[in-house]
Amino acid sequence: MKNLNLILAGVFFTVAAPFGGLLLSGHAQLGSLGRAPAEEGGPLFPAKEPGLAIQGRQVYLELGCVACHTQQVRPAGQGSDIAQGWGVRPSVARDYVLQSQVALGNRRVGPDLANYGARAKTDAEIAAHLSAPAVGSSMPTFPSLFSKAKDGSLQPNERGAALIAYLKSLRQDYSSPEAKLKQ
Amino acid sequence: MSQETPQSRPQGQGRPQGRPADAGSPRVSRVDASVASPVKFFFASALLWLLVSSVLAVITAVKLHLPGFLNGCEFVTFGRLDAIQRNVFFYGWASNALIGLNLWLLASLGRFEFRNGWIATLGGLIWNLALTAGLAVVLLDSQNAFELLELPRGVAPAFFVAFLLAALWPAVAFARRPTSQVFVSQWYILGASFVLPVVYLLTQLMVLWCPTNGVLPALVHSWFLQNFLFLWLGASALAAVYYFLPKELGTTLTGYYLTTVGFWTLFLFAGWTGPATLLGSPLPLWIQSTGVVASVMLLIPLTITSINFFGTLARDSGWSRAWNNTTLRFVAFGLVAYTLAIALQIVFSARSLNAVVRFTSFISGQQQLLTYGFVSMVVFGAAYFILPRLTGAFWPSAKLVHLHFWSCALALVGSVAGSLYFGWTQGAALAAAKPFAATANPQAALLSSACAVLFLIGHAAFAVNAFGMLTSCSSTTDEGRHA
Ligand code: HEC
Repeated sequence: MKNLNLILAGVFFTVAAPFGGLLLSGHAQLGSLGRAPAEEGGPLFPAKEPGLAIQGRQVYLELGCVACHTQQVRPAGQGSDIAQGWGVRPSVARDYVLQSQVALGNRRVGPDLANYGARAKTDAEIAAHLSAPAVGSSMPTFPSLFSKAKDGSLQPNERGAALIAYLKSLRQDYSSPEAKLKQ
Repeated sequence: MSQETPQSRPQGQGRPQGRPADAGSPRVSRVDASVASPVKFFFASALLWLLVSSVLAVITAVKLHLPGFLNGCEFVTFGRLDAIQRNVFFYGWASNALIGLNLWLLASLGRFEFRNGWIATLGGLIWNLALTAGLAVVLLDSQNAFELLELPRGVAPAFFVAFLLAALWPAVAFARRPTSQVFVSQWYILGASFVLPVVYLLTQLMVLWCPTNGVLPALVHSWFLQNFLFLWLGASALAAVYYFLPKELGTTLTGYYLTTVGFWTLFLFAGWTGPATLLGSPLPLWIQSTGVVASVMLLIPLTITSINFFGTLARDSGWSRAWNNTTLRFVAFGLVAYTLAIALQIVFSARSLNAVVRFTSFISGQQQLLTYGFVSMVVFGAAYFILPRLTGAFWPSAKLVHLHFWSCALALVGSVAGSLYFGWTQGAALAAAKPFAATANPQAALLSSACAVLFLIGHAAFAVNAFGMLTSCSSTTDEGRHA
């Protein structure tokens, strides 16, 4: 191989092929996906995130929670995510159509959070977890999300409250055309 | 197409040693002198970033079992430092080092006196400044949710321009000269230097500048990451191996005629393997399966590089000669790691196996095998060969060379073996429906902290040696330095 133009042309083709074959066709298939009801006339899912949750997503990104938490539930044949209680059905592409930066993640130091909102407890308990995770947990505390109230107790500040709202908004417990819930 | 043959350049230093018995200073050839300043700049920057990355790696490893460690203010929380460490390693250390290495290889292979070295240095300056600024944003403000795209999008144009100046432009300039010989290494460098900017630009556009909602950016990101790992880091390191192995063994490559096929199949298939890292994700099934098929096809380039490299090493007591040559010791270690890494990529793209290990430390072990075990070790080996030729000085201490090799080799084996083993056992426990909290093994975090410290020791040894050499006043004459 002496002809360098040929090498460059060939390499260009090797980049263009998966770009077209995967990304453009992926775009063609996924780009038009929108919210949909599980059955005719039902409410549209996924539900719109409340404004506070959208701010909370930003906090989630800033603090790098994605380093330890995923947000995707794999189907039953592919891992034990559903058996772990992380979801009631596998995640599908439609679940994410409203999210601007999907935090799917690729490492689980902690549990998956795709459906955390469905199993979350009260705000106070989530706040308690963020300010003091379980003993022996490798999850750090996040003191910057809290401020001291007059009575000396720790209360979530604005960012803390937004993050809690975001965590509670993470739900994939509705039926979707691609993934019906078993009755 | 021409076979690399041993040439009249000075041979390597033989056994690891600071200074050969016939202690003159090595000469700096005119070709080497013409690229000396950019290459030294890239190596020195790479080395500084490597030290930063190693310190951060110790901190993040310790944080995984002592989450309270250095948790006083939000800027040093695990999620931020982890992202910073990764970006420092890949954009600071590995990319700087490979840009420098590629420049030197191009000049050396083409026997080309490089006229406008300052352009590459300028590119390097832009690259490092943009990286620093981007890291500051991750530390103080926000980051993106995708591995190696965490830096704010404003960094992208600077990275792009810097890369064109420092890597693509030199590659094309060297390659376009009339020459009777084109070496395998040059194909790989040309390919790598072309793929990275194009893929990086398209990815930035699709993920950060004109993003679409939903899971598509995750697909684009997987495409980017596999290109970055295999066709930028991997292909650049392969270029160095194709140069050093035959040269330092003074022999020809086994199965040389296969190299064309090896090159094209690697470039053809690696770009499709992205979705194989997303098995079980909400992406359409056909996309995931395409990735699996492409991963299996990597068997072809893997077989060919194995014939080329291990075939060559198996002849004429090649292994023992490689072991006694500083550069080749690192390179041979890297080749074993490369082969294992690609083999794991192939085997663990099988759905049933992937289901067990996905999201565990197994995946990080696999990645570390490629990016540290192969790429970084080859860069170290190359640095032992190149720096004396650029500075006209010898490595100050042979002991430090040994310390460097042994601590990094041990740390790598320990850390990769630990990640693979604990990742697999955790995955198996989860598959057996054990509750998540009961599956994390505390020993895993201890082992990785110990290995991180060992890496730091090795890198410090390397840095002391290398900076001793880079700052020694260089001499271009034979009567040079004897001190
Ligand atoms: C160092 C890794 C790490 C980081 C970073 C991390 N977590 Fe965790 N997280 C864990 C671990 C381990 C657990 C399980 C043990 C526990 O409950 O503390 C967990 C548990 C959780 C849970 C409870 C899940 C359940 O199913 O009960 C929530 C919610 C959570 N994390 C949210 C967050 C948020 C929000 C962030 C970012 C601000 C974050 N985590 C950052 C490791 C981490």
